[in-house]
Amino acid sequence: MKELQDLAQLLEQGHVQKVTELTQKLVDSGQSPQLILNDGLIAGMAVVGEKMRNGEMYLPEVLQSASAMHASLKILRPHLVLEGAQSRGKILMGTVKGDMHDIGKNLVGIMLQGAGFDIIDLGLNVPPQKFIDGINTHQPDILGLSAMLTTTMLNMKTTLDAIAEAGLRSKVKVIIGGAPVSQKFADEIGADGYARDAVLAVDKIKQLLGATA
Amino acid sequence: MSKRLERALACETPDQVPFLPAIYEHKGWFVGATPSQVARDAHLLTTALLAEYERVQPDALTIGIDVYNVEAEAVGCTVTYYDGDDTSVPAIRSDGAVFQGSQDVTSLKLPDPRKDGRMPLNLEVASSIVKILGKEIPIRGALSGPFSMAAHLAGPEKLFLLAMIQPALVKDLMNFSSSVIKRYGQAFVELGCGVVLFDSHASPELLSPEMYRDLVLPATQSVVHHFHQLGVAHVPLIIGGNTTKILDSYIETGANNILCDTKSDPKQFVERCSKARKAFRRNINSSDFLEVSAEEAYRRALNDLEGSNRYPGFILGSQVLPYGTPLSHLAAMREAIQEYKL
Repeated sequence: MKELQDLAQLLEQGHVQKVTELTQKLVDSGQSPQLILNDGLIAGMAVVGEKMRNGEMYLPEVLQSASAMHASLKILRPHLVLEGAQSRGKILMGTVKGDMHDIGKNLVGIMLQGAGFDIIDLGLNVPPQKFIDGINTHQPDILGLSAMLTTTMLNMKTTLDAIAEAGLRSKVKVIIGGAPVSQKFADEIGADGYARDAVLAVDKIKQLLGATA
Repeated sequence: MSKRLERALACETPDQVPFLPAIYEHKGWFVGATPSQVARDAHLLTTALLAEYERVQPDALTIGIDVYNVEAEAVGCTVTYYDGDDTSVPAIRSDGAVFQGSQDVTSLKLPDPRKDGRMPLNLEVASSIVKILGKEIPIRGALSGPFSMAAHLAGPEKLFLLAMIQPALVKDLMNFSSSVIKRYGQAFVELGCGVVLFDSHASPELLSPEMYRDLVLPATQSVVHHFHQLGVAHVPLIIGGNTTKILDSYIETGANNILCDTKSDPKQFVERCSKARKAFRRNINSSDFLEVSAEEAYRRALNDLEGSNRYPGFILGSQVLPYGTPLSHLAAMREAIQEYKL
């Protein structure tokens, strides 16, 4: 449908006002909220992710597209609930204790939201107990841990150990990311996955959820 | 200034490649203190720098632990420090910005380096270190770059969004940041120190090359020029990530010692820096130095040295070293340098 393609394109270009108006128009005309989400927002953010991966878009442009996506979701969300739309999965995420960096984590959150996942973001400098409480409360499919420092990446292991001690390790798949970490490090600390960037994080999470299905 | 580093910065072949590992929070480890303790205690920081000089034998010393925080803290941002034996690095909370976007930039407080935040502490340390080691080794005051400082004042995400929708406001904020940096840096220079600028928020990992050129380059040129005018011949500018994409702009900043981080292409740096007669520091991958052996550190150092093509302006460094990095790894890097014949 042409208008959904337009929505995806406007989203990619970061036109907050135009995306808001078109979303409202589509909802008012009786278009399925799930279709608007899938063929408009998710399709648009997929292009954003692809362009970011290819070095054709950078953080400012991605954040602008994310602003447009959030504005659209604000309109869509009540209608999605009414329609009984299914989430693609629930992701609990946070930057580990001692680390105040959240740009990378937020970018992953944006891309996951753009791919249709529900995000529960615990923020930055998150102690292990808060992750444990988050798992108990929200029962996520995936836990995402972020660290930007060589010092704080070690707290990923501390967090995983605490989750295992609490008897929750088998209840959630864990993916890690951040500048100093690697697949090798993920393997060493017993994480289920690692992603080098936000786009690959979405792919990896889809893969992990497929594996659990 | 040591002849070795001076020659490399002038792109004249030194006796051996200068050694500049990035030691910030790791300084605390030399004196058995946490980064939060050392960052707030002039005596501890002075002792840590002397220990770094003694044990690491670098070709320059840099005054600073949490190098991106000091200016923004002096303007009013809040830094989180850690208690007890927690070795986390002090950091400004991304939600603790002092610039909300709507206010006039001129309403922000221009800090006094002699009075505000930890600027006086760092200057006191610089003064002590210059007295003790000033004749033996270059001492440089760490300064935030204008974009990174603006990112802390506004909050990183807000600044990146403003870069899209209100670039004029970003430029105003950059000018304010530049004023703070010039003032603080000048206080270091008056003590007999050099300066080193850190601006990794402007990395092309985050910001496009076009935005770097439009928003960051003019302010950076102004800061570098200011220090040249004050008689600082060598102004290093550190931008992490793969900076190959902005290499022309990076060279145009006027800084004469730039960073070829782990992800950057050293061949491109050799080729273009040699044309511009700029020195560059190559960072070896040291993010996993707590896990790999000293032999591996040696192998990586040798590999990067061999990639330098014996460029006279080549300096070997590291990524920011993790707290607790064994001295054996630094010794291994030095050994590789000593064995590598120029």
